[in-house]
Amino acid sequence: MTAGSDVVPWLGPDSGAPLGVPLVDLLDRVLATGVVISGDLVIAIADVPLVRLSLHALLASVSERVPAPWGDGGPL
Amino acid sequence: MTATDLSLPHAGTAGGDATATCVFAVRRDDAPEWLPESPGHAGGGPVGLLALPGGGLQAVVQPVAAADFTEEALRRRLSDPVELERCARTHHAVITAAAADGPVVPLPLATLFTGVDRAVAALADQRAHFLAALDRVTGRAEWAVKVHVEPSEPARAAPDEGTDPATVGTGAGAAYLARVRGRERDRRARQEAVLRVAGHVHEVAAAFAVAAVRRTPHSTEITGKDRPQVLNAAYLVDDARAAELVAAVRALDGTHTGLDVHIEVSGPWVPYSFTRSGEGTGL
Repeated sequence: MTAGSDVVPWLGPDSGAPLGVPLVDLLDRVLATGVVISGDLVIAIADVPLVRLSLHALLASVSERVPAPWGDGGPL
Repeated sequence: MTATDLSLPHAGTAGGDATATCVFAVRRDDAPEWLPESPGHAGGGPVGLLALPGGGLQAVVQPVAAADFTEEALRRRLSDPVELERCARTHHAVITAAAADGPVVPLPLATLFTGVDRAVAALADQRAHFLAALDRVTGRAEWAVKVHVEPSEPARAAPDEGTDPATVGTGAGAAYLARVRGRERDRRARQEAVLRVAGHVHEVAAAFAVAAVRRTPHSTEITGKDRPQVLNAAYLVDDARAAELVAAVRALDGTHTGLDVHIEVSGPWVPYSFTRSGEGTGL
């Protein structure tokens, strides 16, 4: 990846994790390659999609770090 | 384990020590000097390269303990936020390293095969797709654009203004209803305006892209309260145009002052969103 070397906004000084990408942004990308059918992520094992994980559950587990869930319908 | 020249130290034998083959990405093999610089998944063997039949392609693979990647183990690990993050970051790190000097086709998180032979056979079936996808993403990168709304404080305080006791009296009920209708009208107008902004940002970004994907915006459970997301999009952009896209999209940030729209651009990413094979393949 060589594009826009002057614009790498997520490379913060934080976190010893590889590349320091925000997790939600990372999952948006990484999970894009998964076979997502009706919200289910299908992970291929031994060439047969065996594991169906709820994408919602995955993201919900991520969001546990985000305080204060939406109470009402929101401003939209 | 004789189908390739890869010197993977582990064989897919039965029993507790069984090894599975984790495949991260497929790339062209025209850069023989390249070696993976990522350790890969914890507990696995070294990340290596697997030549695919037909020439020209190689897979970035790692032998891993099969016991760590069974259906049950994966479900458990990926349901754990810490493990999920570790797994996703490892996956991303290997793929990013693999893309350091040329295009790659990233494979889905935890793409596993029972052994090297099985991986080679399955990947070989996708050869045409990999070649086409590599051609498509060469010299291009994925850029992500997200738009959030940050409600302004006055707008959030407004609903309480109508409780002024001075307005109570004859006709107060009608006035109250009028205010309610007015607020609902304002809310809808605001929502439509925000969606127009999201559409406009997308159009501006897409003008620089060769392909675009608009995903369902994340719920506020993900983005956080008071920060609804109205655009979650990805763009495949020629490297030469990336700076233009970034500048154009960022120029839109702050120009919708009445709406408090916040625009984020991130990239360049490995083109995760633009290398999927046709439906139903799923390797």
